[in-house]
Amino acid sequence: MPVITVTQINKYISFRLKGDKNLQGIMVKGEISNFVHHYRSGHMYFTLKDAESSIKAVMFASAASRLKFTPEDGMAVVVSGSISVYERDGAYQLYVNDILPEGAGKAGAALEQLKKKLSAAGLFDQAHKRPLPWLPKKIGAVTSLSGAAVRDIINVLSRRYPIGEIYAVNALVQGEGAPDSICRGILRAESAGCDVIIVGRGGGSAEDLGAFNTEKVAYAIYNCKVPVISAVGHETDFTIADLVADMRAPTPSAAAELSAPSAESLLEMTDKYEQRIEKSSLAALGRAEDRYSAISARLTAQSPENRLRLTAQRIDSLEKRCSDSFERYCERLDHKLSEHIAKLDSLSPLKVLSRGYSLVYKGEELLNSAEKLEKGDVLSIRFGSGGANAEVTEKW
Amino acid sequence: MEEKISFEDNLARLGKIVSELEKGDIPLEKAVELYGEGIKLSAECRRQLSEAHIKITEDSGEVPAEN
Repeated sequence: MPVITVTQINKYISFRLKGDKNLQGIMVKGEISNFVHHYRSGHMYFTLKDAESSIKAVMFASAASRLKFTPEDGMAVVVSGSISVYERDGAYQLYVNDILPEGAGKAGAALEQLKKKLSAAGLFDQAHKRPLPWLPKKIGAVTSLSGAAVRDIINVLSRRYPIGEIYAVNALVQGEGAPDSICRGILRAESAGCDVIIVGRGGGSAEDLGAFNTEKVAYAIYNCKVPVISAVGHETDFTIADLVADMRAPTPSAAAELSAPSAESLLEMTDKYEQRIEKSSLAALGRAEDRYSAISARLTAQSPENRLRLTAQRIDSLEKRCSDSFERYCERLDHKLSEHIAKLDSLSPLKVLSRGYSLVYKGEELLNSAEKLEKGDVLSIRFGSGGANAEVTEKW
Repeated sequence: MEEKISFEDNLARLGKIVSELEKGDIPLEKAVELYGEGIKLSAECRRQLSEAHIKITEDSGEVPAEN
C-alpha cells in the first residue's frame, strides 16, 4: 500500500468535494452562532447549526461587504455558497456568498405582490389623495399610547398648535392583533370628529412594521373619510400605509408638524392682516379727503367773489385785446405811409435832376424843344442843386 | 370653557375684512367700521393663540367611543 502525505490526502479530498455538484452552489438553512466579524480582514466566521448538527462557515470580506444587514448569533438564515476544504486544518467548511434572513425572501415577494395588487386597485392613486385641512380642529393620532410616537406628536402639537385638539387612540402597532387594532383606531378617530388622522409608530425593524404593510390597514386608510398622514418611523422602503396615505411623514414628529401650521406662522399672518387693514383704511381716508377737496374746490369756484374776479379778468383781457389790436392797426398805417413816401420820393423830378438832368426855362415856360429859341434869349437853368442864367449863342 | 368663536372663524372674518377694505370702493363710514372690527379681531386672534392650550383626549381603544 502506497504511503501518502497529509497534504496529499487533504488536496485529494478537496479535489473530490469540488467535483461534487451536491456540494457546490447550495443553499443551507440554519441558525448563526459564534459569529465573528474579523475587524482587520473584514471576513466573517460563524457556525451554522440546527437542532442536531453544525457546520463551520466563512464569508470573505468581498462578499460580506455586500450584505445589507449585520448577521447576529441566533439569527435564522439561509446562506448560499459551496463546501470546500481548508487544507491547513483538514477541515471542510461552508464558503458563503450571501446570507438572507430566513423568510425574508418569501415575505418580500409577498409584500411586492400585495403592493402590485393594491396599486392596480387604485389605492395609491394621486387622484385619491386629499389635501390636509389648513386649520384642523381635531387631530387624530392612532398609535400605541405607551409608545414614544404619541409623546412626540403631543409635544410637537402642544408647542406648535395650541388652538387645536388631539384625539389619541390607543392601537397595537405590532404583533398579530395590530392590523385590526389600527383599523379600529382609524374608525374611532374618524367618528370622534377628527379632521385629519396621523397613523403610525416609532422606528422598528422590517418585521415590526408588518401591520403597516397589510391590506386591511391599507383599505382602512383608503376608506377613511378624512385625510390620513402616515408616520411609520423608518428610513428605507415605504410601507403600504405610506403609499396609501394622503401624506407621508418620515417620523411621528414630522407628521405632527405637517398636520397643522405653527402658532408663529398664524401670529405672523394676523400681524400681516392687521397691517393691511391699517394701510387700506388709511387709503380709504385719503380717498375721502381727495373727494372732499375736489368738491370743495368746485364749490369755491362758484362763489360770488370768484365770479366777480373772473368777470373782471375777462374785462381786463378784452380791454387788452382792444388796445393791442388798435396799436397794431396804427402800426400798419404808419408802415404804409412810409412806403408811399419812399415811392413819392423816387418819382420826384428833383431826384432826376440829381442824376445830372437839368430843367431849362424861358421866363416861366419850361422848354422841351429848342424850336422857339432865338440867339440872345436868356434862359434859366435849374440843376439838381442850384441854378444859373445863360444866353443862347447858337441854335442847332 | 369653549371659545365663543373659534380662531379659524375669527381669522377667516379678518381675511374677509382685509379683502373688503382693499377693494377700495367702500364708503368711508363703512371703512371706519371695518377697521374697528378688524383691529379688534386681530387682537382676539393673537389672544387666542397665546392663551390657548391644546386639548388632549386619550381613547384606550377598548370601550366604545364617546361619540
